[in-house]
Amino acid sequence: MRIVVVVGRVLDPSGFVVNRRAGRVFVNREEYILHPADRCALEAALRIKDASGAEVVALPRAPLPDDDVLRQALSMGADRAIDLYGDALEAADEAVMSRVLAATVGRLGETALVLIGAQTLDTGFSQLGPRLAEALGWPQLVGAWQVDVAEGRVQAVLQSQGRYGVNEADLPAVVSVASGALEPRYPNGVRLINVYRGEGEVAQGLERWDVSSLVEADVLEPLVEQRGLDFPPERERGARARGTPQEMAAAAAEALRRHLRS
Amino acid sequence: MDFTFSPEHVALRRMIREFAENEVAPIAAELDREHKVPYDVMRKLGEIGLLGVCFPQQYGGMGAGETGYCILMEELGRICTSTATNVGAHIGIGAMVVHLDGTPEQKEKYLTPLARGEKIAAFGLTEANAGSDAASIRTRAVREGDSWILDGGKVFITNGGYADVITVMAVTDPALGARGGVTAFIVESGWDGFSVAREEDKMGIRGTSTAELVFEELRVPHENVLGKVGEGFISFMKSLDMGRLTLGAACLGGAQAALEWSVRWAKTRRQFGAELAHKQSVQWMIANLATEVEALRSLVYRVAWLVDTGEPFTQLAAMCKMYGSEVASRAIDAALQIHGGLGYTRDFPIDRAFRDARIAEIFEGTNEIQRIVIATNIFREHGVRIRP
Repeated sequence: MRIVVVVGRVLDPSGFVVNRRAGRVFVNREEYILHPADRCALEAALRIKDASGAEVVALPRAPLPDDDVLRQALSMGADRAIDLYGDALEAADEAVMSRVLAATVGRLGETALVLIGAQTLDTGFSQLGPRLAEALGWPQLVGAWQVDVAEGRVQAVLQSQGRYGVNEADLPAVVSVASGALEPRYPNGVRLINVYRGEGEVAQGLERWDVSSLVEADVLEPLVEQRGLDFPPERERGARARGTPQEMAAAAAEALRRHLRS
Repeated sequence: MDFTFSPEHVALRRMIREFAENEVAPIAAELDREHKVPYDVMRKLGEIGLLGVCFPQQYGGMGAGETGYCILMEELGRICTSTATNVGAHIGIGAMVVHLDGTPEQKEKYLTPLARGEKIAAFGLTEANAGSDAASIRTRAVREGDSWILDGGKVFITNGGYADVITVMAVTDPALGARGGVTAFIVESGWDGFSVAREEDKMGIRGTSTAELVFEELRVPHENVLGKVGEGFISFMKSLDMGRLTLGAACLGGAQAALEWSVRWAKTRRQFGAELAHKQSVQWMIANLATEVEALRSLVYRVAWLVDTGEPFTQLAAMCKMYGSEVASRAIDAALQIHGGLGYTRDFPIDRAFRDARIAEIFEGTNEIQRIVIATNIFREHGVRIRP
């Protein structure tokens, strides 16, 4: 069985500060991490691999300036990681990426399951999983907290309206995994050293595929045009509960109820 | 000159930092308060390969070199000195002697499980009457057929209370003393004649085991002699050189933490209508602190680089240990001053760091001994042989 995991990179939030007054983001340490939800998706894939054996292949969520996150995926235990490159890919939006990824999954063949983070950390984007399922024509389960595979079906624990329920889909399928769903494992030290040094079997798992060999040029035309960047509106300040502990608890419970209803 | 870390070392630091912040930081205060050794943390470190960080992959290690090992010690030292000390005693001195002087068979049998963290090592040199004067050890080893019989004991042995493998120095020829009469042995704690006499109750690094070990007619097979008979002192000194460097790296982590606490506190604490960051007295303290931390960082990684490229480093390793321990103590002292009265309470980690840092000026060769090592090397270069 082959499991594809789609992973992307995001600037490590501990490495920069946002200064609204100056209208600037100060990057002190430019390091990239996997989107936390993508890392959970990778963990879900590796757990299936540990339990029943599977080949785990990591693909990029967006064009990557370097292959660091793919190396991170390999050091955690992915068997292969495929960097997709091509000049036309640089402007790719999610529409383009979903088609490119669908073509890549098609080229790989025999993929039973695609796992992807349900949401990105930076933009909160959550469409790539569903769009990829649409492009592949596969069933999808969105925002899983647990993923299991058995007898040609995938089972996922999903949350809806404050409750958890088990949902199933026939394989092949696309499942997006919620951020914080699983505690991701640490990389394995030996794999990490070898994959970053480009030594040994682990490093052989890193491949580069030319996008032009996967899709026609017109597929690479983005639908979205980026015209500028701005800060999101400032978040509203939280309310402070006052009174006895009982009163404060009641106020907090009421606020939560209001929040869940809205 | 290239002062950048390689991609594998950047990735390694990211992995270790995440581990230290997730697994060690939440329990660091408890280890200190309850005098507990972090066995679980040691097991987890072993599982992901970090207890073999600098050993060859052939023997279960990661092969990340001395630079990788310094990164491990810096990141652990930044979070918990006790954990760094456990790891340092295990990798840096206990297992290091086997790595440096073991035969392929000894490495297969002992280094591999140590590098994988399946077994824990300690380093048995210090005795009641042989502290700084390490050459005065009295533990005796007498040859008997294919074995050696060890009698004596060791004190202040880090990891001593729970180590599986202890590298022990014993006198094999009293007439020759340190030059030719001392031999290193690999001892297993499960053997008859090995016992742990007591655990020290210490001022700091309370998340470590510091034990007194007793050997009574302890039979060690001859194949467990490390290096050559009579050359144990040389083996142990090589290991100690490396240990001094990585102790400096752990101190770098401790000093870095003190700097981070100070900056964070200076950003938030307001007095006389402004944050402390706007007070020149605090700015100066932080500027001094940051400069010393950066100087120490340059020294530590320069020496790590010397080790990895096979250059001599004895004198510089002594500087790492001496300067590192003093920078850490000064940095934590400055952090305490910046935090004021609140920093003196146990609600802040400064109390623990303050007590923990002090040991680094004492163990693995007191700073006075380090100064002797440094001065002896300097004068030797100028043709003067220092008399003890």
